[in-house]
Amino acid sequence: MPQHRPNHPVHGCCRGVLPPWPIPAGGAIIAGLTVAGLCSVLPAAAAQPVPAARVLYTLSTECRLQGEAPIPCTVEAVDQGGATLYRHRIGRSIETVRITDEPVTMAIWANDRKEWRPLRGAAARFSTNTICFNGRELCVVNPNYLNSVREDRANTRLQGRDLVMVHFGSDGRVDASCYDDACALLLK
Amino acid sequence: MKISAGLALLMAGVLVAPVGAAPALETPSASVTVQLIARGGGGRGGGGGRGRGGAGRAGGGSAGRSGFQGSGGAGGLNRGTTRPSGGWSSGGSGRVGSPSLDRPATRPGGTAGLSRPGGSGSINRNTNVNRNTNVNRNTNVNVNRNWSRSVNVNAYAVRPGWARPGWGVARPWNHGWYGGWATPSWGWWGARAAAWGVGTLATAAIINSAVDAAVAGNQTTIVVPNTDYQLLYGTVQPSGTYAVSFDVSADGAVYQLSADCQSGLLNGQEPRTAQEAELLNAACQVAYGAAS
Repeated sequence: MPQHRPNHPVHGCCRGVLPPWPIPAGGAIIAGLTVAGLCSVLPAAAAQPVPAARVLYTLSTECRLQGEAPIPCTVEAVDQGGATLYRHRIGRSIETVRITDEPVTMAIWANDRKEWRPLRGAAARFSTNTICFNGRELCVVNPNYLNSVREDRANTRLQGRDLVMVHFGSDGRVDASCYDDACALLLK
Repeated sequence: MKISAGLALLMAGVLVAPVGAAPALETPSASVTVQLIARGGGGRGGGGGRGRGGAGRAGGGSAGRSGFQGSGGAGGLNRGTTRPSGGWSSGGSGRVGSPSLDRPATRPGGTAGLSRPGGSGSINRNTNVNRNTNVNRNTNVNVNRNWSRSVNVNAYAVRPGWARPGWGVARPWNHGWYGGWATPSWGWWGARAAAWGVGTLATAAIINSAVDAAVAGNQTTIVVPNTDYQLLYGTVQPSGTYAVSFDVSADGAVYQLSADCQSGLLNGQEPRTAQEAELLNAACQVAYGAAS
């Protein structure tokens, strides 16, 4: 089941400071107030990421929105413990994708609704170091992500594969995946 | 009878019980029927695997060999949290390319089209990149006595995450010097090359192509052009600003070497032969050279 945790990305003074604990839906308000309280107490210079929210890397790269021209962007990957957040800073906007393991789920932060919106699918092309979310809605060159996936899946599953696509069902979990030429079938 | 009936009910329950991992299909063409079989618990379950009779392993099947064990999850995608060999790139230097799911126009990780000026002779010299794949021919590699054998060659060392299609962009290091391909050529080349009686080194394009072919063929080594050395390209790592470390296979053994790409030193010494110069050249190209 998709977990619509309201532990939304925090920007501004507490950017990078995320709750170290998994926030149950019922505790969202309390957690939010706690984070807000931290923001108000700590000066910006003293704000440090809490241990459970660890910035893995910040990558200067290129992004593409809705298939339009590529533009420079930065990706900040944050390990939240139960999930990894990928904050794509594109110009003045930020697109945040959250990926969980076991089961693998992906969601993007909807700025208008202030909630996580489950993704319909994702695709990665190793030879171009590209990962795309929801078709071509957001594409980014992120070799770090693909390097990590490649080593983490050091078994035979990815050997010789270049294109990997996944589709998420209504419950947020992967209900179909494909490699290379078979992905043309998935797109039909 | 009661036991048998109970066992049958248990088996029926197993067949419809969901499993923890997502029952993803390897390809969308696989049928739902196949998917349900996979849910049954694997090869040793259900049908009384391997003719042992009964249903002794029907319930679990976790150690089975149904062929579907690896198909769960997200088809290989995950959170991307595991730190890969070589670490994380900041993308601060080098070309990152444009995001695209389209197959590259060239072969994955194709050559950048760079070619050091050297005349057509260099092209002709290096067309036989694979001429030394028959190791039985290598009877006189002439391993330098100051080379030390490597003891740390493992799967991760030779298959880091970046050693894949798109390796030129995927190389995770964010630093390094590269000053050899265009004009001027390697500062350490000129006079010594004349002494060795050779005019050019293998071009970047040829070395890149060799790595591309090795990646595509799931090989962990490339034959260094015009030599009897085999470079374990996945072991190449920058060290400091100008240096690289790498492993090379020669005479049936693997040696761990270092090179200074700016000064032209191999294990702290000038190359003694043209073959050693080629090895130095190849390692520096894999580490720092332009590649798409």
